[in-house]
Amino acid sequence: MGSVSVCPHRPIAYIVKLELKNISKSFPGVKALQQVSITFTPGEIHALCGENGAGKSTLMNIISGNLRPDAGDILLDGRKTEIENVLQAEALGIAIVYQERSLTDSLSVAENIYPVHQPRNRYGYIDHKVLHKNASEWLQQFRLTMHAATPVGKLSPSQKTLVEIIKALAKKPRILILDEPTASLTHEEADILFNMIRRLRADHVTVIYISHRMAEIRELADVVTVLKDGIFQGTVPSSTPDREIIRMMVGRELAADTFVSDVTKEVLLEVKELSGNGFEDISFNIYAGEILGFAGLTGCGRTALARTIFGDSRYNAGSISIKQRPYSPRHPANAINAHIAYLPEDRKTEGLFLERSIADNIASVSLSVPCAAYNAGKERETADSYVKELDIRTPSATTPVRKLSGGNQQKVVLAKWLATQPDLMIVNEPTHGVDVGAKTEIYNIMKKLTAAGKGIMMISSELPELLQLADRIAVMWQGKLITILSRKEATEEKLTMLASGL
Amino acid sequence: MNIKNSLTDRVFTLGSSIVVLCVVMTIAFPSKFATVDNFSQLLLNLSIDTIVAVGMMILMIAGMFDLSVGSIVAFAGGMAGYLMYYHGIPVALAISAGMLGAVGIGFINGWLIARVGINPMIQTLAMMGIVRGFALMLSGAGIQNFPYDFIVIGQSRLLGLQMPVWYMIAIVLLFAFLVKNTSFFRRYYFIGGNERAARLSGINVEKMKVWAFVISATLAGVAGILLSSRLGAALSTSGRGLELRVITAVILGGASLSGGYGKIWGAFLGALFMALINNLLILSRVSGYWQEIILGVILIVAVGVDQLILKKIEK
Repeated sequence: MGSVSVCPHRPIAYIVKLELKNISKSFPGVKALQQVSITFTPGEIHALCGENGAGKSTLMNIISGNLRPDAGDILLDGRKTEIENVLQAEALGIAIVYQERSLTDSLSVAENIYPVHQPRNRYGYIDHKVLHKNASEWLQQFRLTMHAATPVGKLSPSQKTLVEIIKALAKKPRILILDEPTASLTHEEADILFNMIRRLRADHVTVIYISHRMAEIRELADVVTVLKDGIFQGTVPSSTPDREIIRMMVGRELAADTFVSDVTKEVLLEVKELSGNGFEDISFNIYAGEILGFAGLTGCGRTALARTIFGDSRYNAGSISIKQRPYSPRHPANAINAHIAYLPEDRKTEGLFLERSIADNIASVSLSVPCAAYNAGKERETADSYVKELDIRTPSATTPVRKLSGGNQQKVVLAKWLATQPDLMIVNEPTHGVDVGAKTEIYNIMKKLTAAGKGIMMISSELPELLQLADRIAVMWQGKLITILSRKEATEEKLTMLASGL
Repeated sequence: MNIKNSLTDRVFTLGSSIVVLCVVMTIAFPSKFATVDNFSQLLLNLSIDTIVAVGMMILMIAGMFDLSVGSIVAFAGGMAGYLMYYHGIPVALAISAGMLGAVGIGFINGWLIARVGINPMIQTLAMMGIVRGFALMLSGAGIQNFPYDFIVIGQSRLLGLQMPVWYMIAIVLLFAFLVKNTSFFRRYYFIGGNERAARLSGINVEKMKVWAFVISATLAGVAGILLSSRLGAALSTSGRGLELRVITAVILGGASLSGGYGKIWGAFLGALFMALINNLLILSRVSGYWQEIILGVILIVAVGVDQLILKKIEK
């Protein structure tokens, strides 16, 4: 081998070819992957693209042993292999770097890099000298200047990402999966990473690289595989024009019946030069009867903005008014008093009391009213009427919410907020993890609200949904509001470009 | 209510166990157990624990607990006794001072936990030691010879039952009603169930937490005054080990350490169950050392069986 070995103590691994054959995987109500077949050639940087919900994460979780496929085969060097769990995947030489962190803040960089296979001394105890020496060599390769004994908690987010990547590399993988690794990296750091990945390629390691960023894919990858709605769209050379790839990602037929709301001239919500943690200088209006969509990538500041308007986090500059009255929220209770509702992104951790009944969940907001008497009968009546109106499929309103399907749980969160009679409803990924039937029903509820003169701020990563429902679509990128497009101007291609900062 | 729900409702299972236990004991000790004397003594013994357990139940519904309640019991009694005995302060004022001290301790606990973010276990563990120290300073080797007006609170009888029993009944009934019927107390179930969602539902979680500690400490203060009045003495060792006994009773009564579950009746039944076991051991002349062993085993069995039933039902 003429190439430089990536790590000084890394024996040159034998080469492994990974093939996926007709992999399918379903979750309740969602076909996450349908008959996906991909061949990953060793010594190739293979980019994987697709919108949110296209099935990329499911696919990676199957390769790395977190999930088992319902059907289909995984072939390693032509041999059919069952990957039952993460440990087995690691033993086979498959390493994955997730977007979420797997580091322990209180332990040192060196200890984090070697969580399992620490070097031992001759008595069988951990050899801290060798541990730190090995870790330091890795850090040098990434031109990281911190000491290997530094606790991870003291590192910056981008340094943490690099340590996360080193941790995967230290396992000497033959197949390395990276999930949007550059999301929090600077240009220089990304360049170092790219060089490292190229050296891995020279060592015939298979690199699977998930990314939204077109420029990056063209610079780094050899080939690009596109997934859409869990279906394989094709593998093309990375020199393929961006437009072409984006079309493969989003090019579905637009839902025929775009919804036209009765937008009025009355300003419902006015946000002026608002700045806070995660967004900067945001100004927009929402009119009564309007749905204003918000497009953007993860971390672009949409959720932070929504939370601030709802009073869940503070802002440091700017002003908000609702119905021409100044409004300065300090707690969600203020927002509820101003008739604002917030359907959160993650219903399980932020929206629901899973162990409590549907009726209790729907009544939960009314509890914030100071010292009201609690009326179980009335609570039950309200719940029954919403169960009927929103068609929540459940044996009874006393059933714990935990037992419902995703779509029905989402309807409970909606019911909880509808019961407060809001003027402005902020919805964050309203149809996330919800089956098609429930999706349509949720859309219908939103349409009904606008018909009644309410306003909706709709954050969604599903572009077709935005194009179908929103009257105007605001695009955010890195904390800034780039532009607001009318529905006529907006296309999936345009939105994807703007959201990626292109 | 169907069988499944009954099996997982601790008030039902514990209530049935208590009935069974009473029947067995009536048969086993015909002349000793089912007597007015034994029962009034039994109720008197559990009254102090139950009053504290009501406050603990509210905390545990919200997903927290307070280890300092035992020390507060000693402090409130000690404070009132100290003022009456050494300074001749009128009974009503002395009691108010003891209660105020208890409320203050609860407020400090709640404020540091909710606003500053100290873990409840650490905060109340520290407070347990601090308050016990103050109680020692106040009552030293013990204060006796209280005015009649003070003694009468805990030692008089109404309809054959001592006053602490009546206070216990009143407090259990009052809080059972409030927790079931006011939105103020209902909020604790939501805070214990999902704190983040509770905040996003407009509940002021921090304020509610402070209140929970204040309520619990106030009830511990009431218990402390009653105890020293009943004993006719303020002892610095009063309420030692009470916190763990009360937490045991509350968990037996259906609370969960992670919060969201529990009823006020459960706190009473838990304390009653423990008192009955105690009574059983005394009547059968079993060594007192066995009491804690048996209660420990019962706690593990109760919670373990619960988990097994839940797993069965979920399948």
